[in-house]
Amino acid sequence: MKIRIGHSALQVALVLVAGPLLAQPRPPSTATPPEASASAVAAPPVSLSARKVYEQARSQLVQIRTVLKGQASQTSVGSGFFVTPQGHIVTNFHVVSEAALKPERHDLVYVTADGREAPLKILQIDVLHDLALLRAGDADAKKPFDALAFRPEGEKLSQGERIYSLGNPLDVGFAVTQGTYNGFVKRSFYPQIFFGGALSGGMSGGPALDEEGHVIGVNVARRVDGEQVSFLVPATFAAALLARGRDAAPFTQPAYAIVDEQLLQHQAMLTDRFIQQGWKEATHPRYHVPVPADVFMRCWGSSEPSRTGGLDFERSDCVMDTRIFVGDFNTGTISLRHESYDGSKLGPLRFAARYSQSFRNESFVRLGAQHQTKPRCNEDFIDRGGLPLRAVVCVRAYKKLPQLYDVSVLVATLDQNEAGVQGRFDAQGVSFANAQRLAHHYLDAYRWTKPPSP
Amino acid sequence: MDEAAVPVMPAAAVRAAPLALLEAVDRDGHVRQAWRVEHWPLTIGRALDNDVVLTDPHVAAHHASIVATSVDPVADTTGTSAAKTTLVVSAGDTKNGLAVGTERIAGGATRELADSGRDLELRLGRTTLRLRLPGHALAPEQAMSNAAIRDMRWPVTAALVVGVLALVLGNTWIDSDPEAFPRAVGNALLGALFVGALWCGLWALLSKTFTRQGHFGWHLRVFAIASLATLALAVLPPLIAFALSWPWVTDFSFIPLYATAATALYFHLLAVEPGRSRLMRAIVLSGFAAGVAVSLWFNVQRTGRPGEELYMNHLFPPQLRAAKPVPVDRFVESLAPMQAILDRKAREQAGTDGDSRTGNDEEE
Repeated sequence: MKIRIGHSALQVALVLVAGPLLAQPRPPSTATPPEASASAVAAPPVSLSARKVYEQARSQLVQIRTVLKGQASQTSVGSGFFVTPQGHIVTNFHVVSEAALKPERHDLVYVTADGREAPLKILQIDVLHDLALLRAGDADAKKPFDALAFRPEGEKLSQGERIYSLGNPLDVGFAVTQGTYNGFVKRSFYPQIFFGGALSGGMSGGPALDEEGHVIGVNVARRVDGEQVSFLVPATFAAALLARGRDAAPFTQPAYAIVDEQLLQHQAMLTDRFIQQGWKEATHPRYHVPVPADVFMRCWGSSEPSRTGGLDFERSDCVMDTRIFVGDFNTGTISLRHESYDGSKLGPLRFAARYSQSFRNESFVRLGAQHQTKPRCNEDFIDRGGLPLRAVVCVRAYKKLPQLYDVSVLVATLDQNEAGVQGRFDAQGVSFANAQRLAHHYLDAYRWTKPPSP
Repeated sequence: MDEAAVPVMPAAAVRAAPLALLEAVDRDGHVRQAWRVEHWPLTIGRALDNDVVLTDPHVAAHHASIVATSVDPVADTTGTSAAKTTLVVSAGDTKNGLAVGTERIAGGATRELADSGRDLELRLGRTTLRLRLPGHALAPEQAMSNAAIRDMRWPVTAALVVGVLALVLGNTWIDSDPEAFPRAVGNALLGALFVGALWCGLWALLSKTFTRQGHFGWHLRVFAIASLATLALAVLPPLIAFALSWPWVTDFSFIPLYATAATALYFHLLAVEPGRSRLMRAIVLSGFAAGVAVSLWFNVQRTGRPGEELYMNHLFPPQLRAAKPVPVDRFVESLAPMQAILDRKAREQAGTDGDSRTGNDEEE
């Protein structure tokens, strides 16, 4: 049971809470009476303070629509909120990504709770934390906007405190959902707040407020394999983005250059932190097999004995929860995997056939041809202190993100007749120099625990 | 002229030796009909007043005639040898004309038939006629079937078949888990026998259709040798690629595989059209060249490289490795040249994609 949950956790992971990105946008079932749906979800009734919070924030809250140029139909919807009287709005990058990356085809508009609609301009983005700073197109010095204030940095929330998330779920209408503050998400590469409440598609970019109505975070994602496991971007990053971009000129070009620059920063930090965290000990009785420490990665293992007297193997998968959303795809993440094979029931020839089959069964294509080049590979036998390895390194370049590459390293140990370990390392969106560094770091981690007696 | 002919053909000997023999031959070289030529001129056509009446609709009523003319009157006076006659063929009132060997003769034209000592081949419409004159060398007696194909060594074929089955068995042993092996054996052997019998049977059917003989043994042998070669090609190139760390060996191992298939096809075809080995060779060679070209092109489309495999993915027991392993430093340094290649590809493809995407995106 535990393993099954683990596996689904690996596969499903996060869903960003913007309209079209929602994995299963359930349309409101009008047939269900409200009592029934309320009891089904078992959500507590909205308290008095939720009403107070919503009433206070109502005029600062907006829905953000991405509209196809010349068609007037929306391609995605999200939420946002005013942070300055001058009309600055904070939302998620993934809410405005189409308009940021393909401005020639998309327009942004915001709609307030009382139905006022006006165009929006993008001033700055922060793809690493999934934030964007916008400005209302109808900003006017004479008519200041109502703005939400950020909760002061020094005031820490304690776990279990009630917080409120606001937004426009699934384009149904503005809503407030309440939940609890649960501290920061464990093993996240960038800090994220664990919100014990429900988020739905379309609420992305909406504010999460404390009981005083101060912004503590921005709605960003939820887990589809859990209940009320949702995530907020801490308000500090939104405040920093506002400070950095409040006087910036609006975007006129596709934002790939800025995305590229931020991803280059990300990969530099990711590579350093990954190499710094080192490897776990005792991952295999015979070899040191690279398995990263659980700092910002999570490893799941499983054992798969053969049912027909064949090859037994154990596997380990390590992934990061954090990945950077870049419009049509995600990047900026590292994953590792290895399988430890025992073919003592098979003999050398049969073992070699299966070992080879497993080595063959690898794909080095991730994104479509419009995003990435086809992989180029280099391969050789490697000597690791007497332990011979077969290593393959494949690299792909991003087409719209210059100087960023995906690197994959495939390794098979070649010192035993009836057993071996095959490992794979993948890093997405790293510079070529860091791809080489990471490949070196990974390959270097393989060695015998103690030299085998002859 | 007539007087000169008399001593050559005394009345008593008329039935003994005809002037020539004319045979109608089908496309496989089998004689359908033969005519003894007792006198010249000889007329050929569809009309009933011809000496040789053909039923081919592509033949004219009076399509051709062959006339004997006497030459060399000097030799005639010596009296020792018979007067030399030269045959002349003239095409009658025909649209299609006729052909002597490779030479075409249009309707109304006349041509001397040079006698090279071999049988002459005349083609009228769809009919092929063979004209044999007295002095022509006879083809040797043929055995009951085509010598090359008939000369089968059954024990060798049997040994080859046993070899193939043994290898199939070995492959099955390697590919199946210990507990699943007994079941897999039956499937594999039955499958191999079925495929082999079907393949050879179909070829034998073709042979039978065109040569009236099945040549099953020949096809079986070709199939067995080709199967052995294919099985060897499944092991040897990967082994070489692994042992010496030469990825290109398996990258292009489809070429010898295609060559094996083409060769097998050629030998199968030889037993279907024994008389056209050059044509068959040309067909098979061009098929091979086209197959290799298409595969290379397909690989370039798929992976950007002409080879088949992205990386050498064949692992053998460690003792079979001959190449020396390199230190990690050197290996990682050797990655550096990839960057320029990838950057170039990213740039050129990003350019072309931008254009094609403008049309597509609206469908999203």
